[in-house]
Amino acid sequence: MPIDLFVDLLIFVPAIGAVAVLLPRNNPAAVKMIALGTAIVCLLLNIAIAFDYYGTTGSYGIGSGSVIKYMTDLVWIDSVNIHYITGVDGLNLPLLLLTSILNVIIIAASWNIEKQIKGFLCLYLLLMFGMYGVFLSLDFFLFYVFFEVSLLPMYFLIGIWGGPRKEYAAIKFFLYTLVGSICLLIVMLGFYFLIPKISGAEQAVANGKASFNMIALAEDGGFQRAFGQGGVYWTHAKWFFMLLFVSFAIKVPAVPFHTWLPDAHVEAPTPISMILAGVLLKMGGYALMRINYAIFPDAAMWAWFIVAMFGLVAIIYGAFCAMAQTDWKKLVAYSSVSHMGYVILGLAVLTTAGRNGAYFQMIGHGISSAMMFYLVGVVYERAHHRELGRFGGLWNTMPAYTGLAAVGFFAGLGLPLLCGFPGEALSLLGTFKASDWLTTAPEWVPFAGAGAEALVITIGIIAATGVVLTAGYVLWMFQRVYMGPAKPEYSYSGRESVQPREYFVMAVLAVFAILLGVFPSIVFSLTDATFGAAYAGLGDLVSNLASLVGAN
Amino acid sequence: MTVETVSNLLVAAWLLPVAGFTLVILFGRLFRDHEKPAWFTVLVMGTSFVLSAIALWQYMANGMEPYCDPWPWLAIGEGKFLEVGPYVDEVSVLLMAMVTLISTLVHIYSVGYMHGDPRKSRFMAYMQLFTFSMLTIVIANSLIQLFVGWELVGLTSYLLIGFWYEKRGPQLASKKAFVMNRIGDTGFLIGMGIVFFKFGGDLVLRSAEPGLGIFGTMAANGMNPLDLSSADQWWLTIAGIGLFCGAMGKSAQFPLHTWLPDAMEGPTPVSSIVHSATMVAAGVYLSARIFPILTPGAHLFISTIGLITLVLAAVIACAQTDIKRVLAYSTLSQLGYMILAVGVGAYTFALFHLITHAFFKCCLFQCSGSVIHACHHEQEMPKYGGLMRKMPLTAIAFAISTLAIAGAAIPYTEYALSGFYSKDGIIAGAINYGEAFGRNGMSWGSLFYWGPVIIAYVTPFYMMRAFVLTFLGKPRDKHIHDHAHEAPWTMWAPQLVLALFAIIIGWPMFRVGASIHATAPTMLTHDAAGQEHLTMMSQGFDAHTEMAHGFHLTHGFLLHGFAWIIPMVLAAVIYWNGFAITSRIFGLPVLKQLHWLVYNKFGFDGLYDTIFVALCKIVAKLAAWFDRMVVDGLVNLCGWLGKNIGFAVGGFDDQVVDGAVRGTGRSAVKLGGVFHFVQGGNLRVYVLILLAVGLAGLAVVVIPLALGWAEPAAASTAATATISALTQ
Repeated sequence: MPIDLFVDLLIFVPAIGAVAVLLPRNNPAAVKMIALGTAIVCLLLNIAIAFDYYGTTGSYGIGSGSVIKYMTDLVWIDSVNIHYITGVDGLNLPLLLLTSILNVIIIAASWNIEKQIKGFLCLYLLLMFGMYGVFLSLDFFLFYVFFEVSLLPMYFLIGIWGGPRKEYAAIKFFLYTLVGSICLLIVMLGFYFLIPKISGAEQAVANGKASFNMIALAEDGGFQRAFGQGGVYWTHAKWFFMLLFVSFAIKVPAVPFHTWLPDAHVEAPTPISMILAGVLLKMGGYALMRINYAIFPDAAMWAWFIVAMFGLVAIIYGAFCAMAQTDWKKLVAYSSVSHMGYVILGLAVLTTAGRNGAYFQMIGHGISSAMMFYLVGVVYERAHHRELGRFGGLWNTMPAYTGLAAVGFFAGLGLPLLCGFPGEALSLLGTFKASDWLTTAPEWVPFAGAGAEALVITIGIIAATGVVLTAGYVLWMFQRVYMGPAKPEYSYSGRESVQPREYFVMAVLAVFAILLGVFPSIVFSLTDATFGAAYAGLGDLVSNLASLVGAN
Repeated sequence: MTVETVSNLLVAAWLLPVAGFTLVILFGRLFRDHEKPAWFTVLVMGTSFVLSAIALWQYMANGMEPYCDPWPWLAIGEGKFLEVGPYVDEVSVLLMAMVTLISTLVHIYSVGYMHGDPRKSRFMAYMQLFTFSMLTIVIANSLIQLFVGWELVGLTSYLLIGFWYEKRGPQLASKKAFVMNRIGDTGFLIGMGIVFFKFGGDLVLRSAEPGLGIFGTMAANGMNPLDLSSADQWWLTIAGIGLFCGAMGKSAQFPLHTWLPDAMEGPTPVSSIVHSATMVAAGVYLSARIFPILTPGAHLFISTIGLITLVLAAVIACAQTDIKRVLAYSTLSQLGYMILAVGVGAYTFALFHLITHAFFKCCLFQCSGSVIHACHHEQEMPKYGGLMRKMPLTAIAFAISTLAIAGAAIPYTEYALSGFYSKDGIIAGAINYGEAFGRNGMSWGSLFYWGPVIIAYVTPFYMMRAFVLTFLGKPRDKHIHDHAHEAPWTMWAPQLVLALFAIIIGWPMFRVGASIHATAPTMLTHDAAGQEHLTMMSQGFDAHTEMAHGFHLTHGFLLHGFAWIIPMVLAAVIYWNGFAITSRIFGLPVLKQLHWLVYNKFGFDGLYDTIFVALCKIVAKLAAWFDRMVVDGLVNLCGWLGKNIGFAVGGFDDQVVDGAVRGTGRSAVKLGGVFHFVQGGNLRVYVLILLAVGLAGLAVVVIPLALGWAEPAAASTAATATISALTQ
């Protein structure tokens, strides 16, 4: 089947492109065309995959009748059972599409970089290789490798093309994420040593050694029992869950692991900020869903409150921090912290609505944050500063740009019919719904019982106040930058006026912001079957508890 | 015509303006002159009105049953969706027709008012977007769609208030309006969240299938919100109050009322439709739509808020000198009446007053706009006077609407202008409600009817004051008076149409000539869940109907004969010579301070600025400081420690180990240099660090874990104990 091939091409076409851009000598135009061509090829491959995948239903497992299609399973390091496993399901497909769309846009956005464009695009294509790899790999070890692969180009992209404090930002970003990687490594080694000792976990074992196949781990009954509540590895499961959570929370990032983000964003060049906020942060959320919540359903129930608190703190704290910023880009960076909090909160509460909300928030924020960073970048390139206090009157001097900016920032603000709303709304609604299962949950679940209702409503109320804070900092920013009398220093004409290429970038993002806001089913139609299957175990646990509520 | 066709007509009427918005915002700039795009938007709106009017006529003429057409929108898992889509019943068809009619008239008015504005076509596009958003609310059958419309009208209100964003006033007012609305919306979200988990994950109000939807679920489960002993009582109360918070934001009810007077910074056509006729009434509409889930606690809360607002705003209106501010506070007061009506159970009258108020208040604002337009954007009434001769048509329209809002009626008959019927119904409901408290020994319940009754006398006073100060008496500013002129036809024609409706709109909606004490308007009763709730509510009042009836008759008598005449005569006498009399009265000691307090709106703005806004900024600054100094400080500390330990190790190596083994020393020094990471460094080193720390982690955590399994007895090893301690 060609589609099977497409999936693997998606990973390796960028790698080939990365080599290809090195070939032309003193010809930046050719280099850019190669990079853009690579991104477009990937987008087309991805669209073909999406159309072919559309409508797939099944169970979450290996083999036929699975929601995971186009699985490739090749032996990589036989002695330790490391395989090259890739596949597509509803969990990664929308994120892959987001990545593909953003890649094309971001390469267009990098068009006027003059400093070592060849190296820049080579590294960017390597980053693409890493991103596709992370989303497509279904082998834990392979995932780990790609997780690291995506780090390295990012380090150089910030460290070479960044702003005044680029070295500090790049190293901070790198080291911080490495700390997360260590947690990941520990869990992986734990799996390797523990799994062969579990009876009944045959699917997760091959040649007498543990397999790193993440799907097998998620579907295997013996594994789930051993790591489930009351199982022999229950304690380990809780540890593994929290280690993995820390690892991915750094990536998301959740407060207090977030301080690498504002620095990285402020120093990174605009296209890199776009991809960082647009896709790289989503790796954290994606990994939580693919690994934590699919493999450790019981531990997820045990940890619901801790995780929910991480989400809640991020929402409120991030919003307050954003409000206090005077650097425009830093404000947008902190808004990312706040918005990604909804992802964590939506996942934590273990309701279908919350999970859908969390996932949609990742896609919606991918579009809106990339757009916001670009909007900042367009002005920064001309004004050469980002101090909010010094701007004003851009609505008069750049009216068309401001129209698009309104779409971008109001999408960020979570206005209905734009891409920021469905995620926020569903995460919040899902939070309230959590009391359904919590009121009858067993006592090992924190705060289970009758008091859960009031607790959940309180969490929901606090999280909902985030929308006021968001409105506060976005509108205040909007007022300071765009409103007011026109200032001559921000009036651009001729070669300085906003170029068609820039309008293209903003317009495409705006169209997607509106499209996703009006028709959120574009995402849900791809994810629904997979979510139903992947979290069936969790769903059973939760709905069994919820059905007791109905009976009462 | 079937009800499906009616529904489709309404959907077309609903979506047309958004098409108009898109076309004008994208292609409006292609026209050098703004007139063509502007008249295009009028055409779009007119078409939308014609479609709604046909729908209204067909629905009423054929006596159709309510109909809903659910469209799946947000997936909530397990194949279920939050639905949006049109809901067709008497209320929605009536309000669709009303909103599109008023919007068409305001569009025509705007063509005249915004003449010469360099951004006129953008303004017209915003008006289209606003109408679309408003219709989204009106036609909604689910809370989620209501919320979508809710936020969108908030956005368009923001854009329109801030339309002249070069000036500081509109900037601040638009931001304030949006943020205060969002505070209310938080309540809406919370209420929605509670409803979502308590009613089986459904946000549709009325479903076509029995037992589904919010009201269906309520009926199927035998929930009675009015039953105080029920276990559902507390959360239903929170949900009701939460949703009502959304209404408080949008309808600018106390204590979220301060944004509305500031919103007058927007162009006057905006004030006439967004901040008087339609958007601010959305809160009333929402409260009326969720009426069946309100508990006694929620009823009391809503009534109290409505009461406070209607009294407070009427008092403030008496002291304002800016003509638009008088109208703004009058709007607040009238909205207070409507909210009170929902609270006391007269929700049909709330909707009725919503409709009548929309016409006369829109007319009043348009007239004030014409006056401001004629007087070189002077809004202060002390500069007006005697404008009747200069602009007779505007004065007539203003006079008619003033009479309508005053509740003018021909004494001892049931013939009256529209405002009378709706206000009278609200007062009747309030009497009923207040009496029920009185019977249970809570005599403070009578406040619920003394408030609206007294303010019914205050309303004609401040309205007549505005009329006299503007149109009658002697001109107080010769320059302004000399240049004043009647507005172009695009401005006076809509005013006269609105004035006509202000006279007659009450008649078809009320049994004119029949008993004035009809329990509800003839239209607007077609809501089964609401009626049932009302019946249950009035069962609680039954014992008193006689007493309430008697009270209403006496005060109804006053209303008939004097409530509008006496205050109006009084106002005319006091203000005929401008502020001559009042300036003398309010020069007196205590009265002076009192007047100052009222004139400054009891200082709510200052209070909010110093408490909430300042607090928010302080918390934000603290959070940012904490983030930079503490959280990031810890991160940097780790880096610094790492670096210096590296140096120490390197130094130790150099001095001690190297003394023994040369070769090892050199490499260790190199390793120490590695930790220069703050200054910028070498990537390979970090991979090394990673490996080293990874191995350390492996040694500390994983190996004991693995051993723990291999030998259960080894579970007492330190590592496992630590793990257990940490996880339990």
